[in-house]
Amino acid sequence: MNDKFTYNILILLLSITVVFAETSEEKGLEIAKRSYENSRGYTDSQSDQLMILVDPQGNEVIREISGKTLENHDPNDGDKSIIFFKKPKDVEGTVMLSHTHVNNDDDQWLYLPALGRVKRISSSNKSGSFMGSEIAFEDFSGLDYRKYDWNYLGEEEYNGEICFILESYPKYKNSGYTKRIGLTDNLFRARKIDYYDRKGELLKTIYFEDYKLYLDKIWNADTFKVVNHQNNNSTIYKWINRELNVGLNKKDFEKSSLLKLAD
Amino acid sequence: MNKSYTILLYFFLYLCLLILSKNVFALEYKSYGYIQPEFSYFIDGKGKYNQSEDKSSVFGQGTFITYLHEDSSKITIRAIGRYDDKDNNRTYFDLQKFKYEYFLDDATLSIGNDIIFWGVNESFHVVDIINQSNLAENLAGTKKLGQPMLALSLYDEIGDVSIYVMPYFRERIFPGNNGRPRYAAEIEKDTVSYESSKEEKKVDIAIRFSKVVDDFDIGISHFRGNARDPELTVNQSTLKLDQYYPILSQTSIDIQATKESWLYKLEALTGKVESENHIKIAGGVEYTFYGVNDSPQDLGIVAEYLFDDRSSNPFNNETALAIRWNKNDIYATTLLAGAYLDLRGDSNRFFCEYEKRLSDDLKLFLDASLNGHINSKDFTYAFSEDSSLTIKIAKYF
Repeated sequence: MNDKFTYNILILLLSITVVFAETSEEKGLEIAKRSYENSRGYTDSQSDQLMILVDPQGNEVIREISGKTLENHDPNDGDKSIIFFKKPKDVEGTVMLSHTHVNNDDDQWLYLPALGRVKRISSSNKSGSFMGSEIAFEDFSGLDYRKYDWNYLGEEEYNGEICFILESYPKYKNSGYTKRIGLTDNLFRARKIDYYDRKGELLKTIYFEDYKLYLDKIWNADTFKVVNHQNNNSTIYKWINRELNVGLNKKDFEKSSLLKLAD
Repeated sequence: MNKSYTILLYFFLYLCLLILSKNVFALEYKSYGYIQPEFSYFIDGKGKYNQSEDKSSVFGQGTFITYLHEDSSKITIRAIGRYDDKDNNRTYFDLQKFKYEYFLDDATLSIGNDIIFWGVNESFHVVDIINQSNLAENLAGTKKLGQPMLALSLYDEIGDVSIYVMPYFRERIFPGNNGRPRYAAEIEKDTVSYESSKEEKKVDIAIRFSKVVDDFDIGISHFRGNARDPELTVNQSTLKLDQYYPILSQTSIDIQATKESWLYKLEALTGKVESENHIKIAGGVEYTFYGVNDSPQDLGIVAEYLFDDRSSNPFNNETALAIRWNKNDIYATTLLAGAYLDLRGDSNRFFCEYEKRLSDDLKLFLDASLNGHINSKDFTYAFSEDSSLTIKIAKYF
């Protein structure tokens, strides 16, 4: 036997070991990354968004906004969005601009119609309720793998499909959560995520429903169903008339853009 | 013609516009507004100037927006008006916005009435100058009158520049004789005088540079034109207050730093009126405790200070302190309570404002305005018996 053969065997053995040595953290991150990339790859989007807030007695109230998003392709930064509030009617005409960041506070500005004023607001409250719903602002970017540390826990059957079980821990210090446990299907689409609050107790579950394939490559859930296990409220969040690549650019997401949308 | 008829007529025209645009031109538009009946009760009984111990009024606002030519231009109308049962000066109609905007890639051209707000403070709006205030609405001057203008905004990486050319000046609206609160003497409306020979037709000019640099929002502005704030002098024959509008030149800066839950604010200006220079500075902080005690509720604190180097100005050494409680429930319940304190101890005023959504299209507002100690030589002594409780209910459509 020559040395070369021994060398090749060694390399082979070593590489097998490397494959098997993929840790649950690495596998978790890999799945989360594919899941995130699955929902990306457009440039900009616009949509109407409808929220139905339901209390434990079954009483419903409606919230309505229309929004535009600019996808950020910078690997270290987040998307930009601008939303126009429509319902409840007393906030109609209010406009909010967000420049999101991955693991820092976002930059946010509000146009307040009463004074005709644009106000920069603190965004240390990414974990606070969005318009009185069970959704927090940080949940809109909940699939962004860069915001969490990941751990693959195994597989589980969910609605007749085998799904990966992923555990994740937020990196952002002002996050409202300590841990999440979610299920991701074999098309790498998140199906549900359980959120644990700052005390480590189960807070809520978000179910991702009405998956639709956009531009033949992007999977987006057009409904988030959120159930809060502590106050028994729930929120159904629907994207309506979602259109991708309508021709928006950076200039539509500047502070001055607020006044173009404003009354 | 009677004012209330004028308001009705405008309201009718506005409705016609909405119906026409929908049925005849098939325009895509947004339209919204509200009607708000209000009732105030004055806890000290009749006023210093024998005004009534209560007042009732109805405020209305309608907004209409439409985009034309594939969103390259926009028409905005915002009409406001009020009918007040006691104060004729508080019964008015105004087109706060009635403008046509044309959007270019890096610029916006706008013509018509508009409301332009400059500044960062919550209480002391020092640098805000473009629009005239309607003091009959409230003495704080936060309700503005639409300013006719031609405006050009240019957007660039270096920063944004806006230029405003204002061909027509609007006089300040003061509370009338039966208004409460009102000034100690009646304000003469018929003999307004100006430093400028062109009077209200003097063309006022303003320019503003603004930029966002990381956590800082910065604005630098210059204004030259008729002062918005008239000098009031007692007319020895009528004993009324005559209004005189001098020419004002003013350069200002406003900065806000947004550092996590802290907002740091500063507004400062140097102004020149009839060759006399003055300086005015106001600033402060805003801090919010988010999710108090692991609840969804927020508690904010605002503290601001105002300094003016003109000792003749009654507001030259003031502070405003307030707390804002935000329940973050589906009713958007909030409570704002605070105080305006004159640091020389001449006048103190306390306020409390509560609001809560009653249903999808109804909102309740409860306001209390309470006077503390007011020195009889202080300008605000005229309002010292005007502590009031107000209820407002807004119906949105």
